[in-house]
Amino acid sequence: MAKVLIPTPLRQFTGKQDSVVASGATVGDVLSALTTQYPDLRKQIFNDEGKLRSFVNVYLNDEDIRYIGKDAASVKDGDTLSLVPSIAGGSAVAAPPEEVTLSNDEILRYSRHLIIPEVGIEGQKKLKAAKVLLVGTGGLGAPLGLYLAAAGIGKIGLVDFDVVDFTNLQRQVIHSTKDVGRPKIDSATEKMLAINPNVRIVKHEVALTSENALDIIKDYDYVVDGTDNFPTRYLVNDACVLLNKPNIYGSIFRFEGQSTVFAYEGGPCYRCLYPEPPPPGLVPSCAEGGVLGILPGTIGLIQATETVKLILGIGEPLVGRLLLYDALGMKFRELKLRKNPECPMCGTHRTITKLIDYHQFCGVPQPAQAPPVAIGEKQESKVNEGEIDVLELKQKMDRGDNFVLIDVREPHEYKIASIPGSKLVPLGEVPKRLDEFDKNADIVIHCKSGMRSAKACAVLRQNGFQHVRNVVGGILAWSDKVDPSVPKY
Amino acid sequence: MIRIESDPWAAMVAHAREAYPNECCGAMLGVIEGDKTVRVSMPLENAYAGAQATRYELRPEDLLAADKAARERQMDLIGIYHSHPDCDAYFSKTDLQNSCPWYSFVVLSIQQGEFHHANSWLPNFDQTEAAKEELIY
Repeated sequence: MAKVLIPTPLRQFTGKQDSVVASGATVGDVLSALTTQYPDLRKQIFNDEGKLRSFVNVYLNDEDIRYIGKDAASVKDGDTLSLVPSIAGGSAVAAPPEEVTLSNDEILRYSRHLIIPEVGIEGQKKLKAAKVLLVGTGGLGAPLGLYLAAAGIGKIGLVDFDVVDFTNLQRQVIHSTKDVGRPKIDSATEKMLAINPNVRIVKHEVALTSENALDIIKDYDYVVDGTDNFPTRYLVNDACVLLNKPNIYGSIFRFEGQSTVFAYEGGPCYRCLYPEPPPPGLVPSCAEGGVLGILPGTIGLIQATETVKLILGIGEPLVGRLLLYDALGMKFRELKLRKNPECPMCGTHRTITKLIDYHQFCGVPQPAQAPPVAIGEKQESKVNEGEIDVLELKQKMDRGDNFVLIDVREPHEYKIASIPGSKLVPLGEVPKRLDEFDKNADIVIHCKSGMRSAKACAVLRQNGFQHVRNVVGGILAWSDKVDPSVPKY
Repeated sequence: MIRIESDPWAAMVAHAREAYPNECCGAMLGVIEGDKTVRVSMPLENAYAGAQATRYELRPEDLLAADKAARERQMDLIGIYHSHPDCDAYFSKTDLQNSCPWYSFVVLSIQQGEFHHANSWLPNFDQTEAAKEELIY
């Protein structure tokens, strides 16, 4: 037996009583007994499928039954059940959605959506009314752009300022070989419109920055994060929290990926998961660490699925759950993601109320905003003290100078390409292999692009090596300026 | 029709202006005798965890307390109010999806910090539409 408190508007169905006693061993039993006794209550509390209406919360004494076993929560004599509507709202989502109609051509095109009861004409109209911003048209952005266009999203914004490169083609399936050298945003737009000319595509050919992010994002309902670096990821997160826009997140590395939805209806944000960025250089990007080309397809499509679900308002959104994918084990795992009450961005006492300098926050230098360099042409790199240009290195070799050339890349990279006469000492082994070298020797160090070798130079200098120089631009520059037969990767 | 007496109305407008540029929310207590009359307004905390300029959320326990307060005064909980800062008093998609058909929902439009206009809405069971209710204040 339990006492059920009846909210005011429902007392007309219980003969004006403000509480009713009903029997049952579980919450489900009590509610069923209650609605058997007062049949008019049934429609108020349950939907046509017999499930609790979405706005009805049931409290057993002080606890929401969702957290104590739902319908199966056991009821003791003397317990009190309360029916409490969940009420929220806000002006966030623009008023009455503008009247959207589907042409006969569109009805034919979307027929396989329209015949799913959960989508139907109404759902397809929601997709058409939706405005989605894709940040990045690379590995994740490629499948996202293709499928979201095909699905009939009304307006898709693209943010990218990069140009298509040969190394992109292994995974960024929205770009073709003929597009190499073209702005990615143009190449992506062309493919998306070829699939579905009904989509309105807005090109934002800029780097997303603290200055422009709010202005760009405010015109969209959903933001899909397809970026590959920490400063932009934090920027997208913070802007989404500030503007109340769901942030559909994905990230990839080698054989593993993750995805979740941040900043949805007050759910956790990226900073709840990662309050601080990792130290610069600890987590390699795809360019540094490599990525299985298929992986962004899987993760990008999980993001696309979540986007479509949120727009349609169906299913269980990936909110408060971090989905982890391991391609080698072919396993999905899920971690619970809780909102951090102390989160500086979305917690109770927020300390961040506007966008900050994300490059400084992540400890990485602000990339130069120079116009993209055409393929095959490299920016003139300046040679500073402690550095050596590849041409000078070549002259040094040709002269037969007595010096040591150290390659600090990994063995699998060495197998792809190497500079003749170099000795392989992967960066991680440098500190323990210092005694292999003479402190007074003339030492030149290189890697792929000059980043890792700069770190190795610093280690050697700290350990008393007198003559250490870093090869500017690494083996990539060697291939460009000295020996084109050395492949670039 | 819903009529809001002058004292509760003044308190609601003051609450909405005070919360500006954030949204405020609260409960309306009164009597239903054919028409609805709001006699008392009760400001409640906006419990929305994100940015409150465009969102509000009521805690279920606060709503339970409002219902109890109404019982104690021999009144009923008859409606919920909230504000839309710098935005018209329409019933938004967010409002609709998080509403309930049991109450009147009064929305106050606050423009540049000052009261501008208000509407009352009656959402349907499926939370797909809300009918405008005549509002007198």
